[in-house]
Amino acid sequence: MARREGAPRNAGHGPLGGRHERPDARAKVTGGTRYVADLALPGMLHAAVAVAPVASARILGIDTAAARRVEGVEAVVAAGEIPGRNLVGVIFGDQPLLATDTVRMVGERLALVAARTPEAAWEAARLVRAELEPLPGVHDPLAALAPDAPRVHAAGNLIRTFRVARGDTARARASVVVEAEYRIGGQEHAYLEPQGCLAIPEGRQRITIVASCQCPFYVQQAVARVLGLPLAAVRVEQAPTGGGFGGKEDYPSEPAACAAVLAFATGRPVRFVLPRELDMQASSKRHAMVVRHRWGADRGGRLRFAEVDTVLDAGAYIGISTVVAERANVSAIGPYHVPAVSVTTRVAYTNNLFGGAFRGFGAPQVTWAAEATIDRLARAVGLDPLEFRRRNLLDDRRRRICTGQLLPRPVLARDCLERAAGLAGWDEFHARQRDGGAPVREGMGIGLVLYGCNLHHGGQHLDRSSAVVILQPDGSAVVRVGLTEMGQGNLAACQTVAAQALGIAPAAVQVWQPDTTTVGDSGPTVASRGAHASGMAILDAVARLRARLDPVAAELLGCAARDVELSDGFARVRTHPERRVPVERVAAEMAARRIEGISTGWYRSRARRFDAATGAGDPYEFYAVACHVAKVSVDAGLGIVRVASVAAAHDVGRVIHRDALEGQIQGGIVQGIGWGTTEELRLESGRLTNASFTDYIIPTAADAPAISIAVLESEGRGGPFGAKGIGEPSLIPTAAAVRNATVAALGVEIDRLPLTPPAVVAALGGAHPFAWVTEEESIRGRFAEAPASR
Amino acid sequence: MDVPVRQVVRPATVAEALAELAARPDARPIAGGTDLMVQLRDGRRSAACLVDLDALGLTGIRRTAAGLEIGGATTMDRIAAEPEVRRSFPALAEAARAVGAWPIQCRATIGGNLANASPAADTAPALLIAGALLELASQGATRLVPIGEFFVGPGRSALRPGELIVSVRLPAPSTPAGGRVVERFVKVGPRREQVISVVSLAGRAEVSADGALSSVRLALGSVAPTPVRARHAEEALCGRPPDAAARREAASALQRDIAPIDDVRAPARYRRIAAAVLLDRFLDEAAVV
Amino acid sequence: MSERVRVAFKLNGERRTFDVAPGRRLLDLLREDAGLTGAKEGCGAGECGACTVLLDGVPVTSCLVLAASTEGHDVVTVEGLAHAGKLHPFQEALVARGGVQCGFCTPGLVVTGAAVLARAASDASGSAALLAGNLCRCTGYVKVLEALQDAAEETHGPA
Repeated sequence: MARREGAPRNAGHGPLGGRHERPDARAKVTGGTRYVADLALPGMLHAAVAVAPVASARILGIDTAAARRVEGVEAVVAAGEIPGRNLVGVIFGDQPLLATDTVRMVGERLALVAARTPEAAWEAARLVRAELEPLPGVHDPLAALAPDAPRVHAAGNLIRTFRVARGDTARARASVVVEAEYRIGGQEHAYLEPQGCLAIPEGRQRITIVASCQCPFYVQQAVARVLGLPLAAVRVEQAPTGGGFGGKEDYPSEPAACAAVLAFATGRPVRFVLPRELDMQASSKRHAMVVRHRWGADRGGRLRFAEVDTVLDAGAYIGISTVVAERANVSAIGPYHVPAVSVTTRVAYTNNLFGGAFRGFGAPQVTWAAEATIDRLARAVGLDPLEFRRRNLLDDRRRRICTGQLLPRPVLARDCLERAAGLAGWDEFHARQRDGGAPVREGMGIGLVLYGCNLHHGGQHLDRSSAVVILQPDGSAVVRVGLTEMGQGNLAACQTVAAQALGIAPAAVQVWQPDTTTVGDSGPTVASRGAHASGMAILDAVARLRARLDPVAAELLGCAARDVELSDGFARVRTHPERRVPVERVAAEMAARRIEGISTGWYRSRARRFDAATGAGDPYEFYAVACHVAKVSVDAGLGIVRVASVAAAHDVGRVIHRDALEGQIQGGIVQGIGWGTTEELRLESGRLTNASFTDYIIPTAADAPAISIAVLESEGRGGPFGAKGIGEPSLIPTAAAVRNATVAALGVEIDRLPLTPPAVVAALGGAHPFAWVTEEESIRGRFAEAPASR
Repeated sequence: MDVPVRQVVRPATVAEALAELAARPDARPIAGGTDLMVQLRDGRRSAACLVDLDALGLTGIRRTAAGLEIGGATTMDRIAAEPEVRRSFPALAEAARAVGAWPIQCRATIGGNLANASPAADTAPALLIAGALLELASQGATRLVPIGEFFVGPGRSALRPGELIVSVRLPAPSTPAGGRVVERFVKVGPRREQVISVVSLAGRAEVSADGALSSVRLALGSVAPTPVRARHAEEALCGRPPDAAARREAASALQRDIAPIDDVRAPARYRRIAAAVLLDRFLDEAAVV
Repeated sequence: MSERVRVAFKLNGERRTFDVAPGRRLLDLLREDAGLTGAKEGCGAGECGACTVLLDGVPVTSCLVLAASTEGHDVVTVEGLAHAGKLHPFQEALVARGGVQCGFCTPGLVVTGAAVLARAASDASGSAALLAGNLCRCTGYVKVLEALQDAAEETHGPA
């Protein structure tokens, strides 16, 4: 199996792998791109929502009288006035659009308002009076699984359990055993554009939703359900979307359903944009998890067994938490060969934040734990963490993962490790003398991920994609797909793939926003499947188009249809490429002859076997590996972790667009650093107390580390031209590498994420040179006093 | 969305502005608005009427016989860039450059930073060690209030209704013969830029040729209900070189000067330790010969 | 009942007059009254920078500026940075470097970047701190800073 690196193949033949201009960039830099909040229609109303301020309560009554009296209010809607079903949620029926008798989370929707101005709408929402009887809530996922815990839903707090087991961990012999409990915090997506949508009704017959979203078909289903309409009567157009990261996967169905209900109630267009604070409190979050490990290795540094017990904090409603758990379950061991494995992953209801999709989808959390334990074991057997990993990574010889699936070759784990370590200067760094007592201490750490590309076996029924290619008479092409651009470069990828396949310049290909009335349901833009699924459907559409195009070109060229090749703007004879006609000429000829220039394409993943009860089989179709090596400088006095550099090596199959690929890796790394060091979700009885950019701290330009990237291309099964996904592998290993680097720098273990300055100082305990200031008699007493008033 | 005020008045002179404020008890002055606009939006402060200070000419930095005078509506960006401030009051220049991020600095004013009276106000520690005097004007009266008497509690200051901070006066700093001055402002937050401080420290000390410290002034933010002078720590350091014993005593004394609480940004324990670290690092600078 | 306020100021080089509610923010005046939707609302609290515009040549978060306070001043938005059909060097550099992903932070970033460049330095390596008020969640800032350096060299000569 060939392994290629660096420069794209067939350089000079088509845009694949290049750095051509991204098609949406120019409009975006001039402020010309219109997002939801930039759209307005005459007569448009503004939506607002009244939400519960507490996490757990019985609803005794909701009084909307005062809200209705606010000047400018056109409609106030409570649960009883939903035309269809009062239900949202992609998979399970446990979540109402508007609460009726129970509040289960802070931010639970109680009533909707539509008004002529946003000021009037939010003023009215404030005046909705809910009579609530507080109920005991549960705010820790382990506590939620205790028998006497308050029940979030009647059936109990354990939603589901997933397992993977291979070999017999109880009987595995290991000379070194590490046990650890990792408490891993969630994360807020912090997309710069808040959630929002515009609902445009046509009487009460049908409706158009323009939404900031990743999954227009999910929105279509949710709106059809709350309005009681057939799917065909709901059109969803994805607006240019200002970031998603998974936060706009399932959640947008909720504001869309709200706006749709209001649009039908008023007969007017309704725009709903969430204020940032409500967005942070109520929309979905990365799951917080507790991961407990018991792993063992022999004296030679070889892993013998791994036991993992993971509990996900799903929050009040399931959403897609079970799917996140499936990925976490299968990813818990990482890219390592471990003869005996036992993984249990449980999903628990609590009255905390709504757990949902977030880049990595369960893998970052279990990876953070796995890589921490790997380092602990390395230290315990006296091996350098790099060497320990070398001895245990999966490779072309040992390529069976914990579910029994055989990874297709080549398995590039070791290659990624060596490339990243090389770029980071691992050996040189460790050869230098470092002062372990200095106020600023440096360390290096490693994180790896084995990422299952595209949807888990459990989501196979969603893994299909539709495309439409319309060759215009002037040789330009319209492309429509069902997968969405949210900044990751799907437009650029689709444009590139179509241009490559049609042999025309990227600028001749126009990819328009996804619209559920133009293509078939293509599933969600998640799981790093965007380029893969769109690309494969586009290639199919082009192949079918060529059945009609090639004969016309062949006539113009005087050759057989099977000898027609398209490249660099021309149709050529394969054996005599100097014989050529411009693609425009072929297109014009097709139009003149009234030959169909529109073509649809379809893609679906190959069926595979997996047993959800035992975790045995092939959960994912194929895999991508990545390794991040982080260098940190820790201010040990103040506990501040600064990431100086990250070296990243990624197994990508094939580069589609080099700038987009690098942009994803750089963005994923910085978002991973934020999650690992500064982004803490501070909850008090389920209420997010830092629901703003002031106190939810994401990285700024001043925090960006130096990033070096090694891209490994290879043959193998995969997506269009062999491309694998990059959206999530770009983030998953980063926080783990940063944690390991910090631990190496300080010489103390840290098992809670994020590594905030107070957390780091606390981890140093008595070793901190000023720990004694809090121990003095006079101070100790202060902690027992009431705090100074604020 | 609009902030909930019913009126905006834009006086052309300070006298007009003061008359407007005197006439309307429910009016607030607004300059840069970087704190006030958020508070009005959230309902943490309210005003039926805003008196816009934009046209009053309260911006500017000028030398006086006594030292430096900074107009109350001078922006942080201007203060941070001003050579005279950087030279004579480096802690203030560093503090101004640490407020929020650059677009906030271009709008936020020193008067606003003080009137907001947050315990985390970035300019406060630097002004405390400089011994600043605030010129407060109301209709028919002007008074000078020492900065040490200005902060009363979290979000509360000595400003009376209808009063404006017209200027901040900085007395020319003493320059010791045969010694050097060390002055620094440090702000600690969870990331490099754009943070509300978790702990901040402004320090100034004169170091004589034999290394002994005198005229030690220390002030901290975010560790008490108001920005505070650390007088116990100052006392512990005065007249001696910052050797290990002095530092330990100072760190211990410092704990009696501060009263941090647990809040959304950090626990009190962390603030105590971080304050001690900041003081120690300031003394590192003072100790270098 | 609130009294409307008349405000007259220079907007992208043209003198304009608006009658606004007293509590109107400059951001909403620009987006809704002047039809310039480039400046975005990302947080409404001056923390994300998506609403950044130039006020008398310096960057400010327009969500915190009272529209009434702009009387007699000079406002430039992202729409006003291109001249005679030519993009600002920082805009061109961002496109060339691939430093634009979802684009929502981009107008604000472009405005602050233009102000950084107007401060006249060939070496933009210290400018990360000046851009720290413009949050971006997509790019990781790497290509943005590279583009700023390109534009600095284009504007002021090689570093």
